Amino acid sequence: MHNCREMKERLIEMVLDGVDCAAELDGCAECRTEFAELNATLRITRRLNQVVADENYWSGYHARLRQKLGTSEGSSHAKAQRRKVDAEKNRASDLRLIFAPLRLCVRTAVRVPVPLVVLTILAFAALGLFAVRASRRPPVQTSVIVHVPVEVPVVQEKVVTRVVYRERRSFARNSRRSTNESRVESTFARSRKSPAEEIPPSLTGFKPAEDVKLVVIKGGAPYEK
Amino acid sequence: MAESDADLIKRAQLRDLDAFCELAERYARRIHLLASHYCQNPQDAEDLSQEVWLKAYQALQTFRFDSSFHTWLRRITINTFLNHRRSNFFRRRGQTTAVQLLQIDSDNSGELVGSSSVSPENIYNKILFGSVVNALAELTPSQRLAFLLRHYEGMSYEEIANEMNCSTGTVKKGVWRTIAKLRARLSPEPETPEPLTDLANEY
Repeated sequence: MHNCREMKERLIEMVLDGVDCAAELDGCAECRTEFAELNATLRITRRLNQVVADENYWSGYHARLRQKLGTSEGSSHAKAQRRKVDAEKNRASDLRLIFAPLRLCVRTAVRVPVPLVVLTILAFAALGLFAVRASRRPPVQTSVIVHVPVEVPVVQEKVVTRVVYRERRSFARNSRRSTNESRVESTFARSRKSPAEEIPPSLTGFKPAEDVKLVVIKGGAPYEK
Repeated sequence: MAESDADLIKRAQLRDLDAFCELAERYARRIHLLASHYCQNPQDAEDLSQEVWLKAYQALQTFRFDSSFHTWLRRITINTFLNHRRSNFFRRRGQTTAVQLLQIDSDNSGELVGSSSVSPENIYNKILFGSVVNALAELTPSQRLAFLLRHYEGMSYEEIANEMNCSTGTVKKGVWRTIAKLRARLSPEPETPEPLTDLANEY
């Protein structure tokens, strides 16, 4: 399906790339006109290549360029020379800066009062003596730490694990008792109870009676005959 | 037999000015074409194109034959153009354009036409060129440069975007806007007796 908007965008690229797409546009007059106008516009700009400058201009152009290149090369040589000289000058000035205080000390004549000079000399002498004494003093014996290993007996504790079994039912029955009693009773005491107490009731030794006495209960009142 | 670019470059790298000038003669027209469309003044165009060559001469030691000389030179051209856009290079000397210099007075028109260098066709072309330059002057330098690189150098949008450090969309928009501007400027007007587009179609 032909889409004029999309085609117009493509047309610009086609014209810029120099692609002839007139055959493609046979179906759409609008696109054909667009293409023709774009082509004409860009053809004008292409044609202007020759208009920019004629042959006479170029000979002068190259002569001027050669002159500029020569000048720039000369100036670059001069610049390089100047840079070299500047670097040497800077180095010399740096050295001068380093030695300036020393030169100042040697050359400068400053008037100093005699007592001050004497005091300074005495101070230097005292410092020298102190230094000599310090060097002659025997070295101070420093304590040496000796590491001696000592064996110390260590009582080792033995850990004994005991497993205590507890019956659930007896615990449940006991729990029905008064709370105080159950609290007092220890696990150890419970474990020492008679085994008969713990046997559930059974029908062994049961003898049924000869006469069956039935009691009919009517209504909801207890013992009503 | 003409020396190859590589030989000339090698000689120029050894500071052979003749070799470099020969290289310049081979590529100067392309650079100057871009400069003349980029600047609105012929003198500025010459200065700008020659500055490209000066920079190329100074930087030729760094050329390692990784790309073609033309690609390398084009990169220098783009950088020089963009740097000049930033600096206040374009001295507006009364906005003199090629068209204004060649406006024909009624008194001396015959003299101009009679001379061999200024033929009627030449005058017409220069007027046309002036129209193009004026249309380009209404755009931003980036848009102008993007159009010149796409149209005259045949670079792709991606290449231009890469060189100009911008997005492909920006380049594309700039090119389309330039074409629209040129079309509006060069389109035939109703009262114009000889429409420019029709004249262009004749060639």
